[in-house]
Amino acid sequence: MARFAGGKAPFLRASDEKDYGTKVMMLDFIIALVPVILFAWYKNGIQVYIDGNINFLEMLYPLFFILIGGLLSTLMEGIFFYVTDKENRSFKDIKEKLSISFAPIPGLILALLLPLYTPIWVLIFAAFIATIIGKMIFGGFGHNIFNPALLGYAVVGFTLMGVINNAGGLFNASEVIVDSYAGATPLGALASSGQINYDVLVAPYGSLWDFFLGTIPGALGETSVLAILFGGLYLTIRKVIKWYTPVVYVGTVFILSWIIGALSGDAGLWFPAYSVFSGGVMFAAVFMATEPVTTPTNILGKVFFALFLGVFTVLFRFVGSLPEGVGTSLIFMNIFTLPIDKFTGVIRTKRFSKPGGLYFGILTGLLVVLAVYTLVKAGNMYTVCIPFLGWVI
Amino acid sequence: MIFQKVKGVFIDGKKDMCKKNPLKEYLSPKNVYIPLIQRACKLEPQVQVGDEVKIGQVVATNEQQMNVRVHASVSGKVTAIKKVWHSSGKMVDAIEIENNYQNQLAETIKENKNVDSLTRQELIEKMELAGITGLGGAGFPTHIKYKTKAKIDTVIINAVECEPYLTCDYHFITTYPEKLLKGATYFMRAANAQKVVIAYKIYNKQIREAMQPFLAKYPHVELFPIKNVYPAGWEKYIVEQVTKKTYNGLPAEAGVIVNNSATAITYCDAVEMNIPLIARPISITGEGIKNPGSFYVPIGTKVSELIEQCGGYINELDPLKYNYIAGGPMTGRAILIDELIVNDTLGAVIVKPIVEGLHPECLGCGKCADVCPVHLTPTEIKKAFERKDIKLLGDLNANKCVECGLCSYICPSHVEITEAVAKGKDLLRKGVK
Repeated sequence: MARFAGGKAPFLRASDEKDYGTKVMMLDFIIALVPVILFAWYKNGIQVYIDGNINFLEMLYPLFFILIGGLLSTLMEGIFFYVTDKENRSFKDIKEKLSISFAPIPGLILALLLPLYTPIWVLIFAAFIATIIGKMIFGGFGHNIFNPALLGYAVVGFTLMGVINNAGGLFNASEVIVDSYAGATPLGALASSGQINYDVLVAPYGSLWDFFLGTIPGALGETSVLAILFGGLYLTIRKVIKWYTPVVYVGTVFILSWIIGALSGDAGLWFPAYSVFSGGVMFAAVFMATEPVTTPTNILGKVFFALFLGVFTVLFRFVGSLPEGVGTSLIFMNIFTLPIDKFTGVIRTKRFSKPGGLYFGILTGLLVVLAVYTLVKAGNMYTVCIPFLGWVI
Repeated sequence: MIFQKVKGVFIDGKKDMCKKNPLKEYLSPKNVYIPLIQRACKLEPQVQVGDEVKIGQVVATNEQQMNVRVHASVSGKVTAIKKVWHSSGKMVDAIEIENNYQNQLAETIKENKNVDSLTRQELIEKMELAGITGLGGAGFPTHIKYKTKAKIDTVIINAVECEPYLTCDYHFITTYPEKLLKGATYFMRAANAQKVVIAYKIYNKQIREAMQPFLAKYPHVELFPIKNVYPAGWEKYIVEQVTKKTYNGLPAEAGVIVNNSATAITYCDAVEMNIPLIARPISITGEGIKNPGSFYVPIGTKVSELIEQCGGYINELDPLKYNYIAGGPMTGRAILIDELIVNDTLGAVIVKPIVEGLHPECLGCGKCADVCPVHLTPTEIKKAFERKDIKLLGDLNANKCVECGLCSYICPSHVEITEAVAKGKDLLRKGVK
């Protein structure tokens, strides 16, 4: 007779295997960021070094900048664990906690969201907001409401953008030296000119192919669609993300932008493509709209989330005064993750009978109203308000 | 995409460790303990301590609820009524019978000459008298299924055995293929159905091979291969696959009755020889067993005797680092003391190491909702349960959970989500009353 251990069914867990589990998923997430990081390094460091415009150390700087971001958030989380838990302060304990907290990810994404030449103290401040305020205060991994990296980026974007601009942050290394652009990102060009015109929006940066490759001004990680697609493909194959979240999100932005372009007189496909390729749409679609903790859980919720996100991105971008719109719409939608989860959970089980049909009606109704409002507003804005637009911004 | 059909999940079966050894008969244990409980029904003992009983003699009944009865599985003397560990995880009263090794049969056990002329009524009566219950794990009395008023056109024999580790049904079928076909035919006649479908897992070619020589004699039997996924052995999944029809409550709505393969073999004996349900196949397996194998044993046998037959536990076994599981690894129960007895629903005992590790929080990946065979949203049910929100639990259909264990299985963060959903289900049931 022997006494055995207790436990609850099922006794077989996929996560008992070494090659499956949250740790593996998060490692995959970091691996998926590698093409993006490498491209940022190539564009801002290696390419410029080959051109002979910077020295060797300056060439390494973009890579260091991104890695410092990851390091900073790890460090801050370690300090947070040290300060908050008085009993378990040994190095081993903190290392254990960090291993299931996936600390470097917010820092890495944060650094990729910021432009090169952002002062390091701004990065430190942003990393503090991201890790401590955005993640740890809410209870750590799995409990945060806002995407930590995005929160840090948003706070810095609203408060310290002037500092970043003064440090030359909106440019990338190659652009500073070449100095051929008007000094703005493509979306900045749209915001300041207010015209849907290929010659104004795309031509100064080359062609849409350059947008796809990523050789345009912008934040470190967000410019190259190609590198992001590689990352997204890897994540999809490894079943870390669902392919339809990015596809629905990008599709929504694409279609709405197309209609807006058509309403203001240019129905060419270049404008929606420009709209999707510029700014952080692709980066957010692959790495942030799919971030499991802060987005809805079930399939239906993810689809609704992506649809709303697309509408809000277009709304903020073309109707609001922000040039970007992606980050704001994501933070805004993060708030609604919990209700969307609840509503779609009920829709999944009750289908269109009593509460399910009501919730479905609320969600689709809101979506349609928002989309129509966006189209009407944006269409008017570019046809009627062009003279005022420059003055407003 | 959104309301997709259930695909099931491939789970590494780990069946080879048990499959390589043939089915062994272990029919004469020293003592047997007949539990005085059948599902939730308490049974009244019909024998006194000191009585001599014969194999197949009724020892306990419950005529009020479902009319179930259990029989002595060995001949000998009733020595006590005492508490034993039962696969439900509780201690229950059981009749202890000391084996006198004489294998005296009760008078009722004799060959039936008129099997071909039995009417539907008589066939159902035989199930009732033999105390046949579902040997798949639910233990539902079979005669209740057949007393349905619905029109039945197909009887499905479930030979899928989708739970990992388990091979007792596989061994039982390959040892008695013709009995399975006969039992299935009697089931078909008892339901007034036109055909029998035997559903088996596609990789179990041996099942098809074992039955091939007899199939010509049973033209109404169809073999139906099922994909190697979990929960492919779930009644509803099989019915959906075989008939392309679905149902809400009982399979009879789709014109189908589903029976386990081991039940069919037992029923064949009950019809032809009047042998009641007194023995069943069981797998003793897992990494903690020296030489895993399947056994055909009388109901009430001590599992510890079977483990001895397997060569005992492995030498370096530390019980506190191992689970002793009654039933399959996905739906079974951890038993703390290894003094279990075999009852009619126990298909396996698995001794399996616990994998320890540090696990992060739920990250909300939604894999649990993707794999749920009844399309529930386990994370939301868990949240609603933690808030004790009974209305929301109702809206989320928590009562539909079949506790298959897939959500916990697939969870990358090792969250005990099946347990939380099962608790939510209980809360909803109590709250509604």
